[in-house]
Amino acid sequence: MASHEPPRPGARPPDAEPLPEGESRLDFSRRNFLKTVGVGPLAASVVAARTADAQAVANPVGPAAVPIELTINGHRHALSVEPRVTLLDAIRDRLDLTGQKRVCDRGACGACTMLVDGRTIYACSMLAIEAQGADIRTVEGLTNGTVLHPVQEAFCEHDGLMCGFCTPGFVMATVALLEANPTPTADEARRALDGNICRCGTYKGVLEAALTAKGVRRG
Amino acid sequence: MADDMGQVPEVQAPATASGSKYAWPAERRVLGTEVRRVDGPAKARGAAKYTYDINRPGLLHGLILRSPHAHARVRSIDLSAAAAAPGVRATLVIAEPGAKVMYQGDEVAALAATSEDTARDALRAIKVDYEVLPHLATVEQAMRPEAPVVFEGGNTRTSDVQEEGDLEAGFAAATHVVEGLYSTQVQTHVCLETHGCVCEWDGDRLTAWVSTQAVHGTREGFAQSLGIPQSNVRVICEYMGGGFGSKFGPDAQGLACARLAKAANAPVKLMLDRKDEHLAGGNRPSAYARIRAGAAADGALTAFDAQTWGTGGAGQGAGFPLPYIYVFPNRRVVHTDVYTNAGPQRAMRAPGHPQGCFITEVLMDEIADRVRMDPVAFRLKNLPAEAPNAMWRRYFEMAAAQFGWSRRHATGDVTPGPIKRGFGCAANRWGGGGRGTRAQCEILPDGSVVMRSGTQDLGVGTKTLMAIITAETLGLPVDAVRVELGDSNYPFSGGSGGSTTAPSVSPAIRVTASKALEALAARIAPGLGVAPESIVARDGRVRSTASPSTSLTWREACQRLGTEPVSVDGEWEAGLSASGTSGVQMAEVEVDIETGITRVTRVLCVQDCGLIVNRMAAESQCLGGIIGGIGFALFEHRLLDPNTAQMVNPNMEWYLVPGLSDIPDIQVTLVDQPGRGVIGIGEPPAISTAAAVANAVANAIGARVRSLPITPDRVLAALRTDRAGGTE
Ligand code: FES
Ligand code: FES
Repeated sequence: MASHEPPRPGARPPDAEPLPEGESRLDFSRRNFLKTVGVGPLAASVVAARTADAQAVANPVGPAAVPIELTINGHRHALSVEPRVTLLDAIRDRLDLTGQKRVCDRGACGACTMLVDGRTIYACSMLAIEAQGADIRTVEGLTNGTVLHPVQEAFCEHDGLMCGFCTPGFVMATVALLEANPTPTADEARRALDGNICRCGTYKGVLEAALTAKGVRRG
Repeated sequence: MADDMGQVPEVQAPATASGSKYAWPAERRVLGTEVRRVDGPAKARGAAKYTYDINRPGLLHGLILRSPHAHARVRSIDLSAAAAAPGVRATLVIAEPGAKVMYQGDEVAALAATSEDTARDALRAIKVDYEVLPHLATVEQAMRPEAPVVFEGGNTRTSDVQEEGDLEAGFAAATHVVEGLYSTQVQTHVCLETHGCVCEWDGDRLTAWVSTQAVHGTREGFAQSLGIPQSNVRVICEYMGGGFGSKFGPDAQGLACARLAKAANAPVKLMLDRKDEHLAGGNRPSAYARIRAGAAADGALTAFDAQTWGTGGAGQGAGFPLPYIYVFPNRRVVHTDVYTNAGPQRAMRAPGHPQGCFITEVLMDEIADRVRMDPVAFRLKNLPAEAPNAMWRRYFEMAAAQFGWSRRHATGDVTPGPIKRGFGCAANRWGGGGRGTRAQCEILPDGSVVMRSGTQDLGVGTKTLMAIITAETLGLPVDAVRVELGDSNYPFSGGSGGSTTAPSVSPAIRVTASKALEALAARIAPGLGVAPESIVARDGRVRSTASPSTSLTWREACQRLGTEPVSVDGEWEAGLSASGTSGVQMAEVEVDIETGITRVTRVLCVQDCGLIVNRMAAESQCLGGIIGGIGFALFEHRLLDPNTAQMVNPNMEWYLVPGLSDIPDIQVTLVDQPGRGVIGIGEPPAISTAAAVANAVANAIGARVRSLPITPDRVLAALRTDRAGGTE
């Protein structure tokens, strides 16, 4: 992970990513911190941490719809969206790729997790226009014909899914983890998946899936 | 959903189906094994289409304008600017002038537009003039004698006194008397898929994709409210993202969606957003109990006197069973429902029980400490009689052995350092049962099999359950069965609530699959020259017990049907399922007495579930219940501003549900009682976790937190002010 890069809008909090070498980690996770201490809108501050994009300032777009091009799962899609439309809504509503879900709509649950240039992002908290030129991956891109991706297979094997609404987000976060670190420890997996929420309570199966999925290639 | 509120559960005899020709097989090949979900791949691939994922040609997006006030009268409402806004295709007034809104989030108006963003823009153009009225944000405010009367008939409603035995004699016989005030918070369901639907009209016929726990009930709801025949309504819900008791009918948003779709002459999708969901999607009511209870010197409970109250929000009750499970021979309970200007409650996973369980089990530990008895021994002494659905004695002993309960220290961990550890335990019970499901089974000449029923799969694995039972009955592998559900065009099944789905659906599938096999046998037996009754299906083959040489593959047998498939209907019958289950949980926690932070490190659950259909799904149900219970114990809390009655945390970064790092080591022991038939276990594992955690916290720190959730501030306050008596 190139930690000197400013975070992209919608980037998941750093604890959702593997740890850069030589950096230490606090002993509790972001979610734990929020829950137990009850303060610190960290997720919101990440969303607010915009990079000063000189281009966007120089050439304001909108508010009317603008043509954009997105590269999703290796395919190019031309579409027309208002600049305020999130990456998630653009993909779900305009391209009918509905795998990734909207649950909290503000970077707190991970159901919308996509990979943008290999890194997990909350697609509810990133604008579609900002994702132009990037390599966007959704759950639909994992499957090779009818053969499940090893992570999807592992979720089925360990019952890491019940209602399944959180599942595509968890699957993408797990793929990102394993592409960076194919043999994570339980603690590393917990941290990487702590930005995702499952209300049905499939966490045990999810963790087992993350620790046993085999054959994920380094991304 | 309602479960009996009595103290000791009715004793349920085991299912007695041994005489039925559809009885569960004594030798089970698939039933009770670990079977992967048949719809797992579709979900993992993101291919499963939930209501929220339905995109129709020309789809419009609906939104509801909700009251910003906790209590107000609508003086006037003007939709003209909104109706004229770009992209708006239909508008609807829900609260007419003169109508009152009773909570923040109450529905006022709705509109549909070409995109969600344009709909949101237009919503801002709706002008509503409210006369703001006095409101009640908390039970304390509502119960004050001088409180304004906000609800017709009064802000509170007190039930009749429930009394048994002789309370005075009970206290006279008590050596120890414990008094305390216990409470639990309002919890919201937080279904990841919010409530909502997609409605599409074809003339006067409505197709509605609804995230619902009851496709048939929702059909009835639409028909009644819209004044059209039920036969004109089709409700579809193949996949849904959780309900937990909160999704049973079209609701206000469903009806608004149908009306907007009609007015716009186009399909409309209307899903609640996360804030709406917290405000108006339902919640578990709060519970309060002021209790005085007594026990004799030997630990026998003698008396229980409780005043209880709670709020289910605007106009809704907040009852819970009390005392829970344990036998207090002399007891009195007076309950008061308190109405407040907050979103109305709805059934939530084991309605009433986690509250009653927490209050009773915490009290039990306090008395045990006073009597100086081990909490498990104390419970064993005061449990009701054993019965197939009431096996706590055995389960406490099993759990204690597995958990290492004998290592529990006396209350107050005396080891040095800020981290204190403790054990706690609690029991649960649930009724459940279920009846009335119908199903249809087709055996096609190419050997494929379809099983259909108008039930729904909330994520608990109903589809897989239907496939397993069909496969077991027809001697086929699970993946040879295609299951169709979640459509009101399929045979009738009731709503999925109160752990009734498995006991209602399983017998219907068993009977229907058996009848299909009988029909297949009747059709092919003459050609084989054997009696139909001699035909059995096993291991993918069809054989005759009368003629060892008669043995066909399943497919060969089905080919003998020619062109006409077998198609039979069947329905639930008694004796294959039962109601009533019991269970026990134990928890271990670590509490940091410097920060007040509690971590649950271990939970053990012993749960009776009758005849297990899918061991994997049953275990996942237990895990899910326990994890929900950890949220209830430590984190979840709908917070209303006491001045404005506005919800402070209507989102997922301040309303906290457990995440992966909060999950302890969880051990589930399913107690198979196949003789009882199928029993639903959606609710029971969700009941006792919070109580067990609370007791473990007290055991760790030697002080009692009597209110949920057990937040750090409450732990620190308890440490300062309320040192419990130890068992030493
Ligand atoms: S919907 Fe994007 S994080 Fe919850
Ligand atoms: S499986 Fe239902 S929310 Fe995770």
